[in-house]
Amino acid sequence: MSLYAYDQIDREMLADRAAEFRGQVARRLSGDISEDQFKPLRLMNGLYLQLHAYMLRVAIPYGALDGRQLRALAAISRDFDKGYGHFTTRTNIQFHWIRLKDAPDILDRLAAVDLHAIQTSGNCIRNVTADPYAGATAEEIDDPRVWSEAIRQWSTFHPEFTYLPRKFKIAVTGSAKDRTAARAHDIGLKLTRNREGQLGFEVMVGGGMGRTPYLGPTIRQFLPARSLLSYLTAILRVYNRLGRRDNIYKARIKILVASTGAEEFARLVEAEWAALDQAPIDLPDLELARIRTAFGVVPFETLPARSDVFEAARAADPALARFARNNLAPHKRSGYAIVNISLKAPGETPGDATAAQMEAVAAVAERYGQDDIRVTHAQNLVLPHVKLDDLPVVFAELQRHGLATPNLDLVTDIIACPGLDYCALANARAIPIAQDIARRFAAPDRAEAIGELKVKISGCINACGHHHAGHIGILGVDKKGEEFYQLSLGGSGAEDASLAAILGPALPADQVAPAVEALVDAYLGLRSDPAERFLDTYRRLGPAPFKEAVYADAHQA
Amino acid sequence: MTLQALTANRLLDGDVVFWSGERWVEQFSDAHLYDDPEPAEAALATAKGLPTVLVDPYLIAVTDDGAAPVSFRERIRALGPSDHLELGKQAEGGAAIAAIQHAHGSALSTGRLSLIRRKP
Repeated sequence: MSLYAYDQIDREMLADRAAEFRGQVARRLSGDISEDQFKPLRLMNGLYLQLHAYMLRVAIPYGALDGRQLRALAAISRDFDKGYGHFTTRTNIQFHWIRLKDAPDILDRLAAVDLHAIQTSGNCIRNVTADPYAGATAEEIDDPRVWSEAIRQWSTFHPEFTYLPRKFKIAVTGSAKDRTAARAHDIGLKLTRNREGQLGFEVMVGGGMGRTPYLGPTIRQFLPARSLLSYLTAILRVYNRLGRRDNIYKARIKILVASTGAEEFARLVEAEWAALDQAPIDLPDLELARIRTAFGVVPFETLPARSDVFEAARAADPALARFARNNLAPHKRSGYAIVNISLKAPGETPGDATAAQMEAVAAVAERYGQDDIRVTHAQNLVLPHVKLDDLPVVFAELQRHGLATPNLDLVTDIIACPGLDYCALANARAIPIAQDIARRFAAPDRAEAIGELKVKISGCINACGHHHAGHIGILGVDKKGEEFYQLSLGGSGAEDASLAAILGPALPADQVAPAVEALVDAYLGLRSDPAERFLDTYRRLGPAPFKEAVYADAHQA
Repeated sequence: MTLQALTANRLLDGDVVFWSGERWVEQFSDAHLYDDPEPAEAALATAKGLPTVLVDPYLIAVTDDGAAPVSFRERIRALGPSDHLELGKQAEGGAAIAAIQHAHGSALSTGRLSLIRRKP
């Protein structure tokens, strides 16, 4: 047991919410309310109307699930959708073939396993994202899930912050290594300790993707952890008061922070915070302890650091050895590993999992992974606590279900939004571009030789595919009704965050994968040594040699 | 003269539908093609009066041969997602679907007619 345990209040809230939506759907179907009246209500329950059907976005709070919940999602995909789901860059899951008449039944099914679609749409504080290695990595200063859950409880249905100028996204990381893209969030929170050893947060505000990308500046180096909720309240109040409501393109907090300047924005927040009656807002120590306890304790065994079973299997099976090289991360406990499950098999849709795959992951997690599953912002899954002794059998099970692709953070581990294949906002498709690139680099030796290379594709300027933070970012644009793609280089959503810069003119769809190959070939010829990543080479040399690699032929033509 | 078809999403399940001249149908190949804007606008006005059947009816431009919607977006609506060729309207296969799949050439941005409202 390591998932936050919902109590009676949480469960009644979810049941009430589902019942309320059932009534709203009935009134829409009978004509008692119009589409204009209904649309904001369905969006508050994660229900969008897309190209082919309704899409339901289900919240996965800070990306944490147990087997029971993942099985329920699998059953929903099978009973109400087309047998698959799509994990998103906000660690949620989307079902793309939902019928309106089924939506209330689906919310009931979700509520039965403590899941919901609250805070997955609308101008509210959205589902919080956290480090998928939470509670498992030795790098961690404190467990970000505890603080994320506190933010969930504080923000859900918060009357003051339900109609913000625009949507609001918060990420919490507990490690120096950032797996949450914290600086690309409206608020990024990084757990830290001060010189006295007190727990606190570095507070970054005003990052974001979209048409105007920004990296959030730090407005406070150290906020005592116990003051988190009052400080967040102060930030949200300043934003609510000064954020632009007159122009949707300028309504995010990043625009406010950029226009006031980080220093002045910090001053406004500090003044607001000082004027607040903080005590009733901040979490009492007792309540924090209760939340921490409600996550339960993982019953780790005392194990040797080396597993003979695993070492023998790895020596005998090159596929397992490759999987171990690429998809395992060190665990804080000896004898355990963090297992990354890539949802990026070459030729498949990034982030998609079939019902059978979801059930397979649930079964492996229940049997070998402390019933704990995480979703990453890179659209993959994580089993945070697997015994080294169990890795051979876990690998075999994952392999049997097409879930053992050994490509974490490699060129084929591509982030892609649903794009114009599904999304009503998109200008161009993202999925076929990802598939083209993945097929081109399908040979695992080559992908490994290239090393870490994060390719991120968005089908429109809203940037759900995080292209601004891609080592290679790809943005689909509409040029006179045809799909074109703009390449950007040098972005990062990690602790070395940076924004990608546009390389040159947009390319037609069939030239994108060849262009990525040209970039990779150029990089392989330019890198100082195999340890120098694509991103590092780009940062060292700048865009010129890469521009030449992609556009030289075009200039000759 | 631009050919036009009338499309919407069905309220109950969100499926893409087209007006055949008599009823709402699921395949673009069964859509009525208007070569005169007046009856097209009249059909659109009627469709807008069916809020318990349809969401957001609108007119789309169709290629001169009548085989496919002009815009890429509308072609995807008329087919289904390209990562799952077994899903959506394209699953039915046949010559009419193939014609949409192979349609190419310059297309309007959205294919949605009358999207830009000019000030009177």
